[in-house]
Amino acid sequence: MRPCILPCKKVRPVAAKGYGPGKLFLRDNLSCAPQNLRMLRHPRPPSSLTRPEKEGRDSLTSGGHAEPVATRADGKLDWSIAMSRAQAGDQDAYRQLLQNITPYLRALAARHIQSADDIEDTVQDVLLTVHSVRNTYDPSRPFGPWLVAIANRRIVDGLRRRGRVGSHESPAGNELETFAASEANLQEEAADACLVREAIDQLPAGQRDAMRMLKLEEMSLQDAADASGMSVAALKVATHRAMKRLREMFQQRGSKS
Amino acid sequence: MTRTSDVIDVLVADATPVRRLRLPATRAACWLLFATAVMLFVGIAHGVRADLALKLHQPAFVIGMVAAMATGILAALGAFIASVPGWSRRWLLLPIPASLVWVVTIGYGCLTNWVTIGPEGMSLGETSKCFATLVLVGMPLSLMMLTMLRHTARLSPRPVIMTGSLAVAAITAVALSVFHPLDATAMILLWNLGVAALYLSLSGRYGQRVLSWVAQR
Repeated sequence: MRPCILPCKKVRPVAAKGYGPGKLFLRDNLSCAPQNLRMLRHPRPPSSLTRPEKEGRDSLTSGGHAEPVATRADGKLDWSIAMSRAQAGDQDAYRQLLQNITPYLRALAARHIQSADDIEDTVQDVLLTVHSVRNTYDPSRPFGPWLVAIANRRIVDGLRRRGRVGSHESPAGNELETFAASEANLQEEAADACLVREAIDQLPAGQRDAMRMLKLEEMSLQDAADASGMSVAALKVATHRAMKRLREMFQQRGSKS
Repeated sequence: MTRTSDVIDVLVADATPVRRLRLPATRAACWLLFATAVMLFVGIAHGVRADLALKLHQPAFVIGMVAAMATGILAALGAFIASVPGWSRRWLLLPIPASLVWVVTIGYGCLTNWVTIGPEGMSLGETSKCFATLVLVGMPLSLMMLTMLRHTARLSPRPVIMTGSLAVAAITAVALSVFHPLDATAMILLWNLGVAALYLSLSGRYGQRVLSWVAQR
């Protein structure tokens, strides 16, 4: 598959023609890109300083406190110079560069990807790739095409991956019921019963036996009194206390979750 | 989900100085120099074929060899250039004219003589020796190429690695046509491009894992 963004051929005419109202967002984010590319494709880009000159500048900013790493005539960061500093280990320049290219990458990704999460994912993926192949950038060449080539690669890879995953999987929401018919939701009743049994197991022994015999096994008071050797009155009291305790336990659980 | 600003923080913290790649032409020249050295050593160990002087007067042999050499040089150049992001992928087409000429001169000699069954029983044929030389010359070149192109693992490795394999195949073919009396080009192409295709289809199937062992972190 051919990458579909060709910076030098597409971005420039678009900038000349202007966008429709629906694409204002893109233009705002991209406003630096066409100028950047034009600037970088200039026959003598700002980065083509002679070596001693450049080293002088490098040492000035990386060692000193000069805030903007390298700016162009219009006051924006010069990506090419920032990257060449970053290659030398200048972390300030690198941070400025990455922060500067992020909106541009986001706009590139937004042309092909709809979901905001996926766009952000792709942008991070591009940043990681830029980091791992930052030694392949040659400061004597324009920065724009280098970045766009990497970004296109990651965007296309992401689209393929999501296409592959999407063809096999469908997102499952948090549906509580699959069907309205109660037979379809036996699982939940089983879960409820399980919770009740667990709660009963936590009761003191007398209350637990009373609950088990009277409520779960549905024995009569008299049968239960015979089986357990407790008096009917004692069984009634134990059941009452157990019910009260259970109610408290489930109310606590309900307020927790 | 990780925030992008956090990712930037992590990357900045990891921003150690890196050594820039040299110009693609320089790197291609280095690789070709290495290839020449390998051929030279194998040549010293193995000796050139007996009828080389005679063969050098045959136009078909000379055309095939020159075309193979041109394919090797141009394919290496193309692979190294196209592997750098920002350069046109069309550089990968560079070796095509030369490789067409080369393919036309291919013979099948080496594919047909794996074992000799003679009066003294079965023995290894000339083909097996052919194959041994092929692996001996091709392997170091392939490994070198793979290491030098490792940064493409995170970009688009397939076309670049295939062109790189073409370069290896062409150089190996030159070596074999100098060292061995049989024409081994068909086997070399099958071997080199076949292995490369296998490798890449595996890497496509299992994501980036296969290539990532050479990829820089």
